Amino acid sequence: MNVVITEVGDVSTIRLDGSIDGKTAPLVREQIAPTLEKASKVILDMTKVNYLSSAGLRLLLLVYREFAAKKGKLVLLNVSPEIQSVMSHTGFLSFFTLAGSDVEAMGAFA
Amino acid sequence: MDEQTFPGTLDSLEGVRDYVARAAGQAGFDRGKIYNLCLAVDEIVTNIVLHGYEEAGLSGDITLRADLDADEFVIRVEDHGKPYDPNAHRMPHPDDLSLPLEDRAIGGLGIMLAMDAVDDLQYDATAAGNVHRFIVKLPHANAATSPGRQS
Repeated sequence: MNVVITEVGDVSTIRLDGSIDGKTAPLVREQIAPTLEKASKVILDMTKVNYLSSAGLRLLLLVYREFAAKKGKLVLLNVSPEIQSVMSHTGFLSFFTLAGSDVEAMGAFA
Repeated sequence: MDEQTFPGTLDSLEGVRDYVARAAGQAGFDRGKIYNLCLAVDEIVTNIVLHGYEEAGLSGDITLRADLDADEFVIRVEDHGKPYDPNAHRMPHPDDLSLPLEDRAIGGLGIMLAMDAVDDLQYDATAAGNVHRFIVKLPHANAATSPGRQS
């Protein structure tokens, strides 16, 4: 699992690459915690996330709560159909803002 | 497919999913079904590692074996940790799944995903070890006897 964080203006993009499972989810959480703490506009780029288990759902849940508490805005970019299906099945999907392109993701902050 | 043995640690999750994906691919399942099977086995193996081995202060292996016959595809997962029956676990109530995320309990989703991904998830704890069997019925097993009808 690889994590790359970039900032453009007041928007932070967290690019995840790999599988989010019971092994990697806690590591991802550790790596993105400082960004989540200071940023209020975040794009979680999941273009290269090929797998997400319930450990990944738990991570999304924690991130969601953090952002809801500080009234920040979180956008999930390019979530695969398989992961969307898991999020839908567990009642997660409707709580998140999803975008299918960079432009759409940036537009969600307007 | 030949059985494969992994150490009972979280580092094995990726290899476990690779094994399941290869076996399910050979059995001819589509991409979505392969994904769900990987998810089912990953969730249970994660529980075996965390609860069956680590929490219990035990260590050991996990052995996978995939079998395909005319009627069903079966993945058998054997471990030697503390018995952990997924069927005895409290599942999220359907109403829980529409609660706002602020009010959700964390947990229980993994076993729900595992059970929903397969037609049957059987569990046996014996002196020789614990065995989970993930069973997927093959669609053509019914189609041969009742053409045009879906159960």
